[in-house]
Amino acid sequence: MHKEKFDLEIPFYVVKEIEAKGAEYVEARLHSREEVGCILKNGEQEPALISSSYGLGVRAIFNGALVFSATNIVDRENAKKIAEEMMRKARSASGLTKNRIKFSRERRVKKKWSALEREKLLDKGFEEMLRVLKEMDKIILEEKEYIPMRFLELEISLEKKFFTNSQGTYVEGYVPRLYVGGFLTGLKNGRSVQKSVEFGGSGGWELISNLRIFDGLKCQVGVIKELLEKAKKVEPGLYDIITGPEVTGIMVHESIGHPFEADRILGREGAQAGESYLKAGDMGRKIGSSEANISDDPTIPGSYGFYLYDDEGIAARKRKLVVNGVVNELLHNRATAREFKTKSNGSARANKFDREPIIRMANTYVEPGDYTFEEMVKDVKRGIFVNSFMEWNIDDIRWNQRYVGHETYLIENGEIKYPLMNPVIEVTTERLWTSLDARGKELQFWAATCGKGDPMQGVPVWAGGPHLRFRKLEVKTR
Amino acid sequence: MNEILDNVVDRVFKKALEFNVDDASVIAAYGRENMARFSNNSITVVNTLDEMAVFLYMIKEGRRVVGITYSVKSDELDKFVERLFSSMQFVEKSLEATSLPKGAFKYSGENDYDKRIEELSEGVVDYCESAINAALSEGAKRVSGTISANTEFYKIKTTGGVEEYDRVSYISANVRAFSETNSSGHGLSCATYLSKFHPDEAGKTAGNFARESKKTGYWSEGEYDLILGPTVAADIFQMVGSSASAFRVDSGVSFFKDCLGKKVAVETLTVEDYGTVEGGFGGRKFDDEGVPTQKNVIIEKGVLKTYLHNTSTARKYNTVSTGNAGIITPHPWNIVVGEGDMSVEEMIRECKRAVYVTNNWYTRYQNYMSGEYSTIPRDATFLIENGSIKYAINGTRISDSVPRQLSSIKAIGKDRRWVKWWEIEVPVYTPAILIEKSRITKAQF
Repeated sequence: MHKEKFDLEIPFYVVKEIEAKGAEYVEARLHSREEVGCILKNGEQEPALISSSYGLGVRAIFNGALVFSATNIVDRENAKKIAEEMMRKARSASGLTKNRIKFSRERRVKKKWSALEREKLLDKGFEEMLRVLKEMDKIILEEKEYIPMRFLELEISLEKKFFTNSQGTYVEGYVPRLYVGGFLTGLKNGRSVQKSVEFGGSGGWELISNLRIFDGLKCQVGVIKELLEKAKKVEPGLYDIITGPEVTGIMVHESIGHPFEADRILGREGAQAGESYLKAGDMGRKIGSSEANISDDPTIPGSYGFYLYDDEGIAARKRKLVVNGVVNELLHNRATAREFKTKSNGSARANKFDREPIIRMANTYVEPGDYTFEEMVKDVKRGIFVNSFMEWNIDDIRWNQRYVGHETYLIENGEIKYPLMNPVIEVTTERLWTSLDARGKELQFWAATCGKGDPMQGVPVWAGGPHLRFRKLEVKTR
Repeated sequence: MNEILDNVVDRVFKKALEFNVDDASVIAAYGRENMARFSNNSITVVNTLDEMAVFLYMIKEGRRVVGITYSVKSDELDKFVERLFSSMQFVEKSLEATSLPKGAFKYSGENDYDKRIEELSEGVVDYCESAINAALSEGAKRVSGTISANTEFYKIKTTGGVEEYDRVSYISANVRAFSETNSSGHGLSCATYLSKFHPDEAGKTAGNFARESKKTGYWSEGEYDLILGPTVAADIFQMVGSSASAFRVDSGVSFFKDCLGKKVAVETLTVEDYGTVEGGFGGRKFDDEGVPTQKNVIIEKGVLKTYLHNTSTARKYNTVSTGNAGIITPHPWNIVVGEGDMSVEEMIRECKRAVYVTNNWYTRYQNYMSGEYSTIPRDATFLIENGSIKYAINGTRISDSVPRQLSSIKAIGKDRRWVKWWEIEVPVYTPAILIEKSRITKAQF
C-alpha cells in the first residue's frame, strides 16, 4: 500500500544509533513506491499489475569507509541490527578504503516538496487505464494491414521519500508519474520495421493529454506505414544531418550527460557503466562548437526526471553542463563535490529503498537556438533529416557512439525528399558536437529510463532539445 | 527461514481464498545480498540488502491480476490482498486466462546452496583485496569491480495443490583492470559454492588482458571472423534464451517467430535452459505457477525445438507449460550451451583475419524480428592475422544479426564457464565461439 504517512521514528532512531557508534556521517531514507500497470498485447489484456515497495535505506561513513544497508522490515529491532552490522562492515572495509570518502559541507534544510498532481492518479484505476490503452490500440488497428503486432503498457507510479541525516536535514518528497510505452512491429512488402515509443512525465492524469500520447502514436503509426511503402536505401557518404528532438535527446544524454557524471570521472563505475572521456582537470575544455549549449534541470515542472531535493537532502537546480562548447559544470553528489572542491548540485538519486543514492541525470537537453526547422533545411544541399531512432550505443568512456535512424528523410537542395531505411551515424563525441552549426527554436523532450549502478538502478529521465543541424557527418548503411 | 516464509505465504493465501478466487499462487521470497564495490584499488561502498517480497497472482472468472509487495506485516498483507482483489473487477476477462496447473508435482531439481555464502557478511571485503592484488600483480595500475554474495529463499503455495520451498546461494566477482595507458581487461568468477569461487583468478585474468592489450595498432572497418570469449558469447546466448519466450515471439520481440522445428543455427550448436542445474543460480525448482522447472532443449543440433511457455502461452500454442512462468512473460532460468572441442588458442591459430573480443556491452537492436543489432566490444580486443594475435585494437563495434551469427558459428570452445555480470542478467554457461565474417565498424573521428 502507498504509505500515506511515514512513521518517522525509525529513521531518526537509526541515525542516532549509528552516530553513537562513531560514524562521521549517517543518513536514513524511508522510501515507498506504488506502481499500477496495464498491458495490452495484440489487443488482449495481460494480467494487471500492482506493485508496492517500502523500506529503509541507511548510509553511513566510518573513518572514511562508506556503507549502505537496506531492509523492508522497518522496526527498532532491525534498525539496531543494521546499525551494528554497518559498523562492523565499515571497520572491515576501512583497511582497503584507501581513498577516504568525505562529503562536501552543505546547508542543513527542513523541507517538504511534491510534484503537482492535478488529477489524482490513484483515482483512475484499471478501468480508465485500459480505456486509454484501447484507444491507442484503435489508432494502431487503423493500419493493421501494416502493423500486425503491437504491445502497449501504461503505468502509474507514486514515489514518496523521507530523508534525514546526522547533520539535521530532513526532507520529505512526493512524485507521481505516468508512463506509456509501446512497441510496434510493421510488416509489409517483405519488409519489417519496428519502433518503441515512450511517453512519460510527473503529475496526474492530466499527463494523458499534456503528453499528447494519441497524436504522438498516430504519427508513429504513419511513419511505419510510410517506411514500409516508400523508404529507399541510403547512399553512404558525407551528409549534413538535421536531428529531431528525440535524436537530439539520445545524443545529449549519452555523449554529454553520462560523461559529465563526476563519479564516472573519478572511476567509481569503472567495472560497470564505465568511466568518462573527461578527466578531473577538464573544466574549461572545448568539446563542441559555440552552438553546443547543454543543460540538465531536475526542476522542470511536469518532467519525468522531476525533483526539488535530491536523496542527499540537497536542493535541486539547473546545471549548465556545456556553455558555448566548453565544459562548464559536472553532475555532483556530496562525495564528488568534496573531491572537486565544490558544492553538490543535487544530482544524487536512488530509485528504491534498497539502492544507494548515486549521481544521475534528470532532464538533459540542448538549449534552444533561433532557427526554424524550415530555415535549417533550406541551407542544406545534401543531407538527412533523422527525426527518430531505434538502435543506438556508445562506448564506456562515452566517445564512440552510433545512432541508427528510424524516421529519416533525404534532403536535397533545401528540400525534404523521400524516406530512407536505417541510415547509420557512427561518430566520436568531439566530432559530433564540433559539427553542430544550428539549433532550432522549439524545445521538446522524450521520456526514458536510464540505467546505472550496481545493483542496477533505473531512474526516470527526460532527454531532448530542439532540432539540431550538424555539418558533414558520415552516414553508412546497416 | 521456512517458518517466516510459511507465515507470510499462509496469511496471503488464506486471505486470497476468502475472496473466492478461482485460482491463486503465492510466492514469498527472501533475499540477502552482501556486496562490496571497489575502484582505483580502494573500496567505494559496502552494501547489505536484506529484503522479503510477496508475490500474488489471482484469477477470478477470467480476470487476472498480479501483485508484489514489500510490506510484509500481517495487517499490511491483508490490505494488499484486499486492494488487489478490489482492483480485479476493473480488469477485462481474458480469453487467454487459464487455470493454474494442478499438482501433485514431483520436484526433482535442487539448487546449489552453501551456508558459508549466506554467512559471509563482511567477508566479501577480503575477496576484494584478493581480486585487486591479483590484478596488480599482473601489472595493472588501477582495479575496479564488485564482489557480491547472494542468498535467496522461496516458498510457493497455489490452489493447484502446490506447496514447495527452494533456496540458492551464489557469489560473483566482476573485476576490471586498467594499465597505465588505460588499456583494460575484464575477469569474472561466478560460483554457487565458496570452494569454487576464485576472485584472484578473475583479477588475474583482468590484469593479464589489461597488460596484453597495451600494444595497439591500426585496423580498418570490414568483415572479420570473430572469436567471442565466454563473456561475449553469453550475451548472444542470453538473447537466444529470451527470444525463445513465447510472449516475446508474440510481441514481435524475437528472431524466432515461425522458426519452430526449423534450422536456426549450425548443427554443432545446442542451447538448453535449466530451472536448476549444477553451478546455475538463476532459477528455481518451481516456476511462478508452481510447475516444476525442467531441462528445455531450445536449440538441438541447430534446430529450434521449443519456445519457453507458461500455461497461458502453452494453451495458445496447443502445448504444455515448459516450467518457465513468469505469469506474464515466460523466461529462461539458466542457459547452458553445449561444449565444442577447441581451445581459444586453437581458434586463433585457425583464423587468417579475425578479431578476438573478450568483453562487450551496450547491445541494442534495430529490429528484434530480424535480429539486427550492434554491440560494443570493451576491454581487451585483439586483431588476429595469419593465426596469431597481432596487437590490440580500439574503437570497434560489432554490427550483425543474431540469426546470421548463429548460422555462421565455425567452432565452439571446449572450456565452459558461468557468466553473469552487469550486462548478463540470466546466468549462461558457455564456452568461447568462433563466428565467420561479422561486420566490424568504427566511428568517424
